[in-house]
Formats: sequence, structure tokens, C-alpha cells
Amino acid sequence: MFGIGKKKAYTGLSRGTRIVRSLTLIIPSIVMVIMIIIALFANLGWIGLPDVGLAPHDPNSTNPRDKLLPPSFIEGGKSDYFLGTDRLGRDIFSRVLYGARVSLSVSLIVILITAVIGTILGILSGYKGGRTDAFIMRVTDVALSFPALLLAMLLWVAIGPGYWTVVLALSILGWAGYARMIRGESLRIRESDFVAQAQVVGASTWRIMFRHIFPNIVNSLIVIMTLQVGMMILAEAALSFLGLGITAPTPSWGSIVADGRSQLDRAWWISAFPGICIGLVVMAGNFLGDWIRDKLDPRLRQL
Amino acid sequence: MTRFIIVRILQAIVALIGIAVIVFFLVRVSGDPMALIASPNMSEEQYQKIKESLGLDKSWGEQFWIYIKDMARGDLGESLIREKPVTTMIGESMPNTLKLTVPSFVLSMILSFFLGVMAAIYRDSFWDQGVKFLAVLGQALPVFWVAIMAVLIFSVYLEWLPVAGMSTPAHYILPVGTMILFMLPGMMRLVRSSMLDVLDSEYIKMARIKGLPERSVIWKHALRNALITPLTIIGMLLPSLVLGAVISEQIFNWPGMGTMILQATFERDFPVVQSITMLTAILVLGINLLVDILYAYIDPQIRYQRA
Repeated sequence: MFGIGKKKAYTGLSRGTRIVRSLTLIIPSIVMVIMIIIALFANLGWIGLPDVGLAPHDPNSTNPRDKLLPPSFIEGGKSDYFLGTDRLGRDIFSRVLYGARVSLSVSLIVILITAVIGTILGILSGYKGGRTDAFIMRVTDVALSFPALLLAMLLWVAIGPGYWTVVLALSILGWAGYARMIRGESLRIRESDFVAQAQVVGASTWRIMFRHIFPNIVNSLIVIMTLQVGMMILAEAALSFLGLGITAPTPSWGSIVADGRSQLDRAWWISAFPGICIGLVVMAGNFLGDWIRDKLDPRLRQL
Repeated sequence: MTRFIIVRILQAIVALIGIAVIVFFLVRVSGDPMALIASPNMSEEQYQKIKESLGLDKSWGEQFWIYIKDMARGDLGESLIREKPVTTMIGESMPNTLKLTVPSFVLSMILSFFLGVMAAIYRDSFWDQGVKFLAVLGQALPVFWVAIMAVLIFSVYLEWLPVAGMSTPAHYILPVGTMILFMLPGMMRLVRSSMLDVLDSEYIKMARIKGLPERSVIWKHALRNALITPLTIIGMLLPSLVLGAVISEQIFNWPGMGTMILQATFERDFPVVQSITMLTAILVLGINLLVDILYAYIDPQIRYQRA
């Protein structure tokens, strides 16, 4: 009845499936590379070169005469402003290009910080076991279920808004996901013969943790890190959208969407385009993560 | 079991004190709270008066003790800007938030269980592909943006639904829909994979070999076991619930707790933010405690492993 529970026999992949499979790698990779190029070369001023780059305008220069212009491919748009302008006459295209910087750099920094902390705690928890494990896992449970948004608000009140406030808000809780995964892996590896042998010859705890267990969890770690790219970009965008992110006038995708809210009935393009960018880059990150997971560590697959 | 519960409750209390210490000192270590309140044209006398009324003239140790004592009595302090007790502010805004979160939560659960189970049963069917597609989209698109685009389409262009306010049922459609988008994709995926796991298990094969009708295999034997995993991670839905409520209230000008705390944050009204953070911590620990006990009750292995 309806083929419930039956599995198709594995007959090798058809040509069509193979093409689709490779597209799910190629397209996301291209999107990611483009986004990274945009983030790096929106302008070159920051690496000491002349202040030119991909962005046609200064993202913050206002042009009262060119207020609320529609995108250039729509009637009434100027060719100068590819994606239109906002209520101050700022170029949306340039703002979106610059916005890639905030999104990508915040998520990259947060991922590096949380991966290091989460890996150390996860290995420690899995390898040591006992009280250490119980304690670290209790804290992990709390960190996993505490809303990052409230922490971001608390930090906003306590240390004020800024780039590092956002990084801190996302990092303080973000390590927990890694810790839980890595702990599970370490528990399994702890039982291996090579760990027992290392213990017999008198290797120190730290040596076993980092010379013997760590190399065996690197694959899982890379998978989790890639899958986190999208989540962190979304988290940063949500904070910026609420006004809890990087402060104006620095453009970030979330804050440009928020800017456009009051103009929704006259200028839909302000909110629409940065949101599409977020969706694209997050989707690319998720697809890449899935692909890497299937290659490196299919056990992590959620069916 | 009793020992397990007692240990857990004690651990939760210790954790709560730990969080209280962190929150309390975070607000103070980073700078004098007075610096957040004081305006340049305030006289020295006014400054001292405010400082005393907030108890900021005492030592940190004393302040912490007072803060803990007040909290234990249910006194969450007073807003700096509104000059109202925080409890009153919560009392005013909580019902509106519940009107939004309760239907969203219930609908998300029903939808995700229904869609997840169906996708698992009819694996690789058109239905399953549809669910997977929705999950991929739902986990990639920023929900606040989807909500704004929905406003653009349904309120601005089609004029079918109101933009803001809460007077008629139609006012609930977009805000509740927004909140559902925060919870549905992840939960749906989890239910699906959990159901797939169960359908693949030995006892389901056994039930089939016995010749039970497919209907009873799925709805009686499989479903019950498939629900355990999603139920135990319900605690982890809290962050999405909070984020969903704040964003939804913000977009649709909903006068709930999300709007209230966001405003308090921008006004740097630290007693309000601090109290709501503490209340959330209590909620988080409480949910975790309940889930743990529930889990241990369902699965005895946990009791011995984690006590």
C-alpha cells in the first residue's frame, strides 16, 4: 500500500541525477565566491589602495535630487542606480554590496570563535566524562535554549551598540552546538584502541585530546562550521533588522531591509533586494554544508 | 527517580544563581549604570537622588543581595523611563504576546507533526519533495523579510489584510504566520527524520511481519515512538519563539512584551532588560528541568546515565 517503508534498490545514479547533484555544488560555490569577492572589493580603501571598487557610489552619500528612484530596469529608474535609491537618495546597489561585508565578516568571526571554544569543551566533556562532562553538558543545555536575542539586548544596554557587541552576543551562546556534537564524537573515539594505547604509554590528557582525538573529529567540525555560516548570517541580519546590530550609517543587509519598511508603499526595492541577498547566501551556505557533510561525514546526515 | 529529580532541581537552582551573578555584574562591570541614565543638564542633587533611589550608592555586594532578595519576593524593580514597576509593564504586555504566541505555537506543532509524518510515510513522493523544498526555503530566507514582502503583497497591493493593529481576526493572520515561519521548518525536518528512523526500526519490521494492518503500524506503533525526540527538544524552540515574537510584534506594531523590551533596550532601561533576562533564564531552566524529568521518565537509561 503506497509503498510505505519500501526502499528503492540502489541502481546507481542516472545521468540526470548526477547533473543535479553537481549543480547543487557548483551553483552554491559560485554564489559564495561572488559574495566573498563583493565583500572584499566593494571598495579598496580598507587595504590602503585608492578608494575605488565594485560599488559605483559611496553607500552613505545622499542625493536629495535622486530620492526614491526605482531600479534602472524599471520605468522611471536612472541607469546610475541599478537597484534604485532610498529616501535619502543613497544608492541601494552600493549599500547592498557594502552590506555583504558586515554579514560575512560577522559570521566568519563568530564561527571561528565558537568553533574553538565548542571543540575544546566538547572534547574535554567527551574524553573526561564524569563530573566534568555533567557540568559542561548542563551549561550546554542552558546555552542551547537561551535566546541569543535577549543576550544581545542585555549587551546592548550594558556595553552599548557596535560590531563587537554583535560578535559577542552570538559567540557567548553559539559554542554550545559544537560542544554537544563534538562531545558525542569524542565519546565514541575515547573507546578506540589507539586512545587506550596512548594512555598506556603515559600520554598527557591534553596530548590525547589534541593529538589523538582531535584529528578524528576534524571532519565533523568542518561540516558543522559550514552549516553554521547560514545560521550566523541569519542571526546577524535579524539583529540588524531590529536595530540591535552594527550601528548606522554602516549598511548591513538586515538594517537596509528595516530602512525600507516605512517606504514600503512607495519603494519596495529598498527592502526587497537585501533580503534576496541574505536568502541567496544562506541557501548557498546550507547547500555547501550539505554537500561537504555527504562527502566527509555522512553519519551526521538527518536522513 | 526521586534522587534524580532532587539533583536536577538543585542543579537548576545553582545555575540560576550563576546566571543572576553574570547578568548583575555584566550590567555594572561594563560601566556605571548612572552614566546611562544621567543627562548632562541634571543637577548634582538630582543625580544623587536618582542614585540613591536605585540603590546604586551602596556597595556591589549589598546591591546584589538586595537584588536577589527583591527577586525572590517577586519584585523586579522599576523602569527608569516609565517610572512603573517592571511587573506592571509585564502584566500589561504579556496578554498581547500570549494572544500571538499561543496560536502560533499550537499551529506550528500541529502543522510540523502532520507535514513531517506525511513526508516520512510517503518518502520521496511529490509530497515529501514539497516538504523538503519548504524546509530548505524556510531555513534560508530571513523570516522578517518574508513578513515584509507579505505585507507588501497582501496589505499594500492587494489590500486584503490589515498592516497593523489587533482588533479583528484578520489582524492575526500575518503576525501569526510570521511566527509560524520561525518554528515550522526546523521542527518539520526533525519530525520527518525521527519518523523515518522509527519506520526503519526492528520493532516496526516485526509489527509488519506479524501482519498488522499498515494503518495501525504507522499510527499506533511508529508515531508514538517518533514523537519522543521532537518533544525532548521543545526547550530549544524557545529562542525561535522569542525571536519570532519580537520580530513579529515589531513588524506589525503589536503592543506585546517584544515591543516593550525592544523599546526598553533602546532607552537603555536596564532594570527592565535585566529583569526580563532573568525571567527568561528561569523559564529556560524550568523547561529544561521538565524535559529532563519527562525524558528520564520515558527512557530509564537516561536516569542512570545522567544522574
